Parts: sequence; C-alpha cells; structure tokens
Amino acid sequence: MCFKNLPIEFDAAGKPFLKGGIRDPYSTKNVITSVSEVQQMPYDTVRELLTRNGYIKDVDFDPVTRVAGALAFHGVADLENRKFIETRSMATLFRGYEIIMQGRDPRDAIFITSRACGVCGGVHSATAALGIEMAFGIKPPPLGIIVRNLLLSLEFLYDHPLHLFLLAGPDYSEMIVKATTPSLWDKAVRTKAPNAAFHGYATLGELMTDMNPLSGKLYLEALHMTRVAREAYVVIGGKYPHPETLVPGGVSTTITLQVFNEVYVRLQQFFDYSKKVVAIWDDITNFFYEANPEYKKNGMRATNMVDLGIWDDPDTYDATYENCGEWGEKRWATPGAIIDGKLVTTNLQNLNLGIEEFIEHSFYKEWTNGENNGMQHATDPLGAPLSPFHPWNKQTLPSPGGQNWREKYTWATSPRWDRQVFEAGAYTRVYNTAMAQKLRPNPFMESTGHSLKLNLPAAAMPEMELEWHIPEVWNTFERNRARAYALPFTALAAMNDWMKGLDLLKKGQTDVSTPFEIPKTNRIGVGFWGAGRGYLSHHMELDKGLVTNYQIITPSTINASPQDAWDKPGPYEEAVLNTPILEEFDKPENYKGIDLLRTLRSFDPCMPCTTHIYAGDHTVVREINTCACGVDG
Amino acid sequence: MYDDPTVSSGITADEAIELVQGKQTLAVSKKLSLGPLTKIHAFWLAGMSCDGCTIAVAGATNPPLEGLLNGQIAGLPQLILHHPALAVEAGDAFMHNFEMAERGELDAPYVVCYEGSIADETIAAAHGGYWSALGAENLGTDKRRPIPTTEWLKRLAPNAAAIIAVGTCATWGGIPAAAGNPTNAMGVMDFLGKDYRGTAGLPVVNIPGCSPVGDNFTETVGMILLFLQGLGPLPEFDELGRPAWLFRDTVHNKCVRAGFYEEGVFAENYGDRECLVEIGCWGPVVQCNIAERGAINHMGGCMNTGGICIGCTMPGFPDKFAPFYATPPGSTVSSNSSRVSGAVIRRLRRLTMQFQNQESRWEEDGHIPSGWSAAKKPSWTSQAMHYVYQKLQYSGTSKPGSGLVAKGSKRPPMP
Repeated sequence: MCFKNLPIEFDAAGKPFLKGGIRDPYSTKNVITSVSEVQQMPYDTVRELLTRNGYIKDVDFDPVTRVAGALAFHGVADLENRKFIETRSMATLFRGYEIIMQGRDPRDAIFITSRACGVCGGVHSATAALGIEMAFGIKPPPLGIIVRNLLLSLEFLYDHPLHLFLLAGPDYSEMIVKATTPSLWDKAVRTKAPNAAFHGYATLGELMTDMNPLSGKLYLEALHMTRVAREAYVVIGGKYPHPETLVPGGVSTTITLQVFNEVYVRLQQFFDYSKKVVAIWDDITNFFYEANPEYKKNGMRATNMVDLGIWDDPDTYDATYENCGEWGEKRWATPGAIIDGKLVTTNLQNLNLGIEEFIEHSFYKEWTNGENNGMQHATDPLGAPLSPFHPWNKQTLPSPGGQNWREKYTWATSPRWDRQVFEAGAYTRVYNTAMAQKLRPNPFMESTGHSLKLNLPAAAMPEMELEWHIPEVWNTFERNRARAYALPFTALAAMNDWMKGLDLLKKGQTDVSTPFEIPKTNRIGVGFWGAGRGYLSHHMELDKGLVTNYQIITPSTINASPQDAWDKPGPYEEAVLNTPILEEFDKPENYKGIDLLRTLRSFDPCMPCTTHIYAGDHTVVREINTCACGVDG
Repeated sequence: MYDDPTVSSGITADEAIELVQGKQTLAVSKKLSLGPLTKIHAFWLAGMSCDGCTIAVAGATNPPLEGLLNGQIAGLPQLILHHPALAVEAGDAFMHNFEMAERGELDAPYVVCYEGSIADETIAAAHGGYWSALGAENLGTDKRRPIPTTEWLKRLAPNAAAIIAVGTCATWGGIPAAAGNPTNAMGVMDFLGKDYRGTAGLPVVNIPGCSPVGDNFTETVGMILLFLQGLGPLPEFDELGRPAWLFRDTVHNKCVRAGFYEEGVFAENYGDRECLVEIGCWGPVVQCNIAERGAINHMGGCMNTGGICIGCTMPGFPDKFAPFYATPPGSTVSSNSSRVSGAVIRRLRRLTMQFQNQESRWEEDGHIPSGWSAAKKPSWTSQAMHYVYQKLQYSGTSKPGSGLVAKGSKRPPMP
C-alpha cells in the first residue's frame, strides 16, 4: 500500500497493522529506499577544495532576507563547474513555546500557538481549535465551519500576493535580473509578453520593471491587495495576524449580512486580480525556460510532497479521528502524499501514521532512549501502529550548541513521511487536489487527475477558465507558478463557502458555535490543517483538563529541515544542490547567489513558527513546533 | 488616498522638469523647507518574534509604510528601512549597513525598531549556542559565529536617535516570557534599563499589542518625525512609554458593545451580539484603542467582531489574563451591578423609544401606515409617562414648530 519504508501493512479491509518479524521495526538503522539520490560532497573533500581552489567559494547567507523569520543558509559553490557541492539550512531562532503550553487550559492553545507565526497566525489558531474539538468530542455547527473556512481563505488571499510580489517577486524584477544576468535582461526587453492582453504589459521587460521593490506598480498593487484581503479577514477575525474569534466548536464572530457583504466586496476583487497574476507568472516561467532551459533545473527536486488538506465540508466534518479519512477527502483542498510524482494516499489517518521527526542534526536531544523507546502511545486511537518518532510520542529536549556542519547546525527538526524527504507548500495543495479527483460538485473548480480547472466569474474582466497542469519537472519556477494558481483556487474555494453560508442563512441555520464542557479525562487530539505554506499539524494530549503535551509540525520546519537520520538533505538543501549557477559575474568576488536565493524563496520560507516549547530544567521538553516561519536560513 | 497603488509610483524631479518644460502652468521648485531632516535610517531587529508586528506595520495606512519608505509624505523625512523581510540584499551585503551604523558611518541619523522578545543569551552561550541570531561574523576559514540579535541591540543602542519597541514581546516580554519559558525572555526596557536614553533624549518608546495596530506604529513614528522637524508638538507618552493619545483609555471605554454592558445585557454563547465580558473579555481593564481604530484601515477590531479582549497590549499578558476564555473575576461585581441598574435603564429607554419610533404625523393620525407588521400601541401608563417626559424635554423652550401651528389645526397651513 502506501508505505515503502515504515513497517506498516494493511489487512483486506484496509486496516493498518504492524508488520511482524522485525526485531526493532522503527529503528533508524533499518535500510530505507529513497526517491531522491542527491548527495552532498564529503565534508573533508569540500574543506580541501576550499583551501586550494579559488573557484570553490563559501556562500553564506545570514540572514536570508525576504523570507519570514530567521533563516540562514550555508552553501559551498563550485563557480567553475557552476554548481553547489555542499548545502546546510539553518533555523536561527528558538523561543520555547512548548513548555509554555504545558499545564495550561487547552482553549488557550488557540491564542498562544497563533503567536508562533505572525505571517499566518490564524492557521495555528484554527489547527489548535480542530485538535481541541477532536480531544473534547465536539463539532461546530455548519455556519461555524463555513465562517472558519472563509477566515482561512482570506488569510491566503493576503499570503499569496505577499509571496508572489513582495518576497519572491523582486528576484524576477528589473532591478535584480539586470544586476545578476544582464544578457537575460536584454532579452526580456525584446521579448513580447504572450499574455499581454491579460496583464497589460507588452514586453517581459516592462513587466519586470513593475516588479521592482517599492516602486514597481505590481509590487505596490500586491501590497494593496494584501490589505484588501486583511480588511475582509478582520471583519471575521477582529485582527490580523492573530485572530480573536476562533473557539473550540466554531467561531465567536457575530454574523450578520454586513459581514457577508463586507467580506464579499473584497473577495470578489480577487477574481480579476487572479486572472492577472496567473498571466504574469505563466509569462515569467515560460520566458526563463525559453531563454535558457537550464533554468528548469533551478530548485529541482524529486516530486515528493505531503499536504493535510484544508477547508472542511460542513456536511461531513465531525472532528473525530475515526472518520478523518472520510471528512478529510471532502475538503476543498484534498489531503494527500505524493511520492515520486505518484499520489499514494489521500487518507488523513495514513498521512498521520507516516509522519516522524528526527533530530540528528538539530539542537535537541534524543527522547527515544527510555523504556519502550520512550513511547507514550504505541498505537493511534484506531489501533494502528505509531512510531516512537511520531509527534504523539515526541518530546522536545532543546540543547543549544555551536554550529557544526557535520553534526548539529539548526533549531529545525527533520520531519519525514514514510522516511522520505518531502516538501510542503500552497502548491502542494494545488498539486494534490488536481491529482486526486475528489472535489465535491461545485460550479467553479474541477479536478481532472492531471490538471485543476478554475472557472473565474466575470467582473471587470470577462469570465475565464484557468487550467493548472501538472508540470514535467518540479522546480523553483513551478513552485511559484503553482502558487500563482493557488490564488484563484483559494478565491474560488472561498466563493463556494460564501455561497454555502448564504444558503445556511436562508435555512435559518445561524448558529456559529457549539457549547462544551472541558473533559477531565486523558484525551488526545490532532488538528490537521494547512498554513499559507502548506502542511500544518498540532498534536496534543490533555489530562485533568490541562495540556500535557503539545507538538506542532509546520511547513517551514519541513522545508528547512536539515539532514536526517540517513544523512539525506532537507528540501532546501536538496533543491540547492540541484541548482545550476546561471548568474553572470566577471570574478568570484562579484558573485551574488541569485540562483540559490530564488530556490530558497520559491518555498516561501516562513521561520517564526519554527518554535519549540520545552519543559524546564532540560528534563522534559515537548516540542511545540517549527513552522517554516523560523527555519529559513 | 495613500493606499491606492496607482498614486504611489511617483516621478523623479528630473522627469517632472522634463515633463513641464515649455509649459507655463506647472513648474518644479525647491523653495520649501519643511524641516531639517530629509532622511533617517531605521534598523528593524527581530528577536524572539513571530514577524507579526512586521506584518501589522505593512498593513498600516495612516500613514502607509510605503509612503514613509518612498519619502512621499510631505514634511516627513524619507525612512530608509533596513528590514530582513523587505530587503533587496541578503546575507553580508544586507548586514553591511548595520556595521556602518555601529561605526557611526551612516549619512543620516538612525532609529532602532525592535520586534520580539529579548532572549537571555547567557543561558544559550553557556552551551556554546544562541537562541536568536541575525548575521554572522567570520572567525577564519569555515568558522562563523552567529551574532545574537540581542548583541545587535546593545551595539546599536548607544548612538540610536530613538529606540522603538514594537509589539508586546518587545515592550513587555509577551508570550515568549510566559511562565515556564526556557529563554528567560524579557522586553527591551527590561534589557536596557531605566536610564537608557536615545540621542534624541527619549527613553524606549513602547507600542504594545500582539500584534499592534499597524497605524499605532506608523502614526507614532510620523509624529516623532514631525516633532523633530519642528512642525509638531512633542508627542505625549505615559509612564510606561506608551503613546498617551492611543493608550490612555481602556478598550471598553470606546467599545461598540459597551452600551450593552451599560444596559446589563451579556453574551452567553460565542457569536452573540451583546457585551462579551461574561465569556472572557477583559476590555474594561485593558488600555488599547483597537475598538475605536480597528485593526486595519479602520476595519475589524476584536470586540467589534465578537472577539474577547485577552489583554494583549498589557504588561501582564499573557499569564495575568489566562485562562483566556474564563470569566474575569472582576466582572462578578461590575457586571452584576450593571445588570441591576441596566435593567431599570433599559426599560425606561425602551419606553422612550416607543415614542421616538413614531412620526408626529402618525401620533396625530392615530395609526402607523407600515405594511411590515402591526406596531404596538403604547399603553395608557406609557402615554402618561411620555407626557411627563415631553414636559421635561421642552421645559424652558418650546416644541419645534409649535409657533407655526394655526389655532384649531394640528398641522401647519399649506403654503
């Protein structure tokens, strides 16, 4: 079935069980089959080359700018052969959120974990609320689910333009292209833009000029649109980035027609804006590919990605772990794991069983040494086997130390799925949904198995059908292009939910929350959700009405992760190793590293969430988490 | 409208001169001087932060961040921002300006904006590590030492014109300083001490909020700059360094739901439209202006939408307000007394409203021509009370229009 490396098999009814006959089934000594084959050059060889070859150059970026949070990146470039021979990704921030959550009222997780990330904090609040609902055994009324969906769509409508034009965008602007690849700029000025009718720029050069930071019209327009989305967001959430209205069992927003109106007036501006944004990124991508096909290798890596889905179906979601397979697949964004380009599962339980975190190269101590590998939970609530490295079993034992490229060098951990290196992103949401063909019937979006069709209603621009196709290679440009398509995907998911909300009002189903009592017994729960950058989970354990363990896995922890127990590089590290150096420079001293920076920024690193909570005195630490928000180095 | 992207791109003075050559009506001049400063540097340091304050400030519209950065607000100097999330450069090229500032080599004064809590780096350093770092220095081949963000604050503080702590982490420690935290986190004031003064003479300026209202930051910066230009008054700060005009009142003072509190009506469930105190709102004791100002572009605001106040602007946040969803104990006295007085006030008001909801014409005609439903007629007791009410209302004056009414007629004559 879906696992190649984990010791999990499925019976005839599809129920997972632990494979027999293996003495230490989860040992990291066990051999695995890996999809990606990229290797770092041996440490000592690199050191030797550094001392005797002028074209072998340390390329250290601390900080990596135009990413959220504290990310540093170390690379060694071979400027003669125009490739990278060594890469290390570093999260340079630790805040200790996990211990802070310990012993608190579980409802407080909604407010406290939001503060893990100020770029998209609401996703943490929502994920915490979902986990608490599972642990408490409550579910929100339909309108509560719809309003929560809308809130988290509006968050992405702010987040996608932020990435496309304020963070990653400037790398494709006149200012940067001219400075790093003058010949490419000359070509851009002479190249007619195929989508001129949709974005209004006759040539690629004109388009790139308007992407210049702070002065370019596209930059300023995106900044404006992030505000438009946030205005709608605060109508529901009160404030941004940390919303005030998410509660277990729904929302505390007072819903009136004014809310529906003020949200829609802003949401619908994204229909036309999406048409323009997609046209722009299609043109940029195609221009680079045609100018130099080598750009297809920028940020290239195996097509391994995992997402948990987002935006629940109010008719199916019941917050239970027992039914997570069913309600997960009904989400507007389908959950799923893609390994080597193949969708291997869309079942949330399987996705949960496959996740593990490793800390061989991170500033933490092992927690699996004790009796029974330190395991609290040998199985999930349905009796399926759990790894000692699974978040429900994990403890966070921070141990700050000096940077050592061979040993420990980051505050991020190494999340792996079925022991494969995978990446997370808004693009993963698009990719999974396109492949899975699980979309509920709706007027706007269609999954074909090889593409995602998006029908945008007419506004000032005519109605348009956009179609995102599964790309031949997975690289920097495809990440950005799919991120552009994530904008209309998000807007249309929101449109579906907005219409469903009106329908509920018609039927008089106006409740937005479910009353509850805090259970005093031992409970576990998990919130499966997504951040602006993809995969987000909160695993929690409660006892006597208080939090006893809280673990967060964020997308940037995943993407910024260091090498794992098998010395396989994390996604940033792997993507940079595959990146050819196409920058134009006269001598090594003037090399700027644009190809590497484009690669890193295509993941939209967001390091603040890479925060960890530990219990004091260096004894028991449970990791709350790492969202890529703090890991990008 | 600052927020309109189409007006922000601007043209250079040279281009403008070129445009107007040969025309009589427009001309570019350089006669006006609105103050001594034409530019000022701002170094944005993010310690143990979530970047939420950066995001909040990027959403500001009064004035908007890009207006400050592009130098397009008349009278204000251009703000040259060195911010890791917005910079064009990366790595050492980005850090170069920080080093120049430390050495006093910049061409203009600088301020430091600090976001996030200050980590106690002595704890991490004891193990040869760090909690939070920005940039690194070379210690010979292949050896780099990450520079703790706290160290940067120490290096830049002495020559900074002013230090502005942005958000509750930087002002009071915030969530990283909550009970149980391993990093001994604290705010900027805790770190620099009470005697710290920037070269402009100010102690640390504190703009709290988790995250703060973006306008509260850009407005304070704008007002400090106007003062330095000789155009504005010295902005007033309270005893904790908060802008007094923004944080003097409690958020409840200007809450859109405070009227429900006055009438003793409280939300019981999440989503209810009444006062939120009973379901966990701390607004009556929290100094904040979000209900009045909104979160962004005057929209949103916690209680405005149904969100409880969790005290995120206050030095006691988060522990003194947790568990957040429990009813604050103080409300047992205050909300019960408002229930008692509110019950009386509410009834009297409803009575008055019964009459204020009627045109004078309807009263005279004795019926209400509404097709929606049958409006209830006031009882005799209500009418008697209303008679007294009107006597009080017009005592010492006269009822509007009463002089125009002809004797024997209820209505003024037709012209």
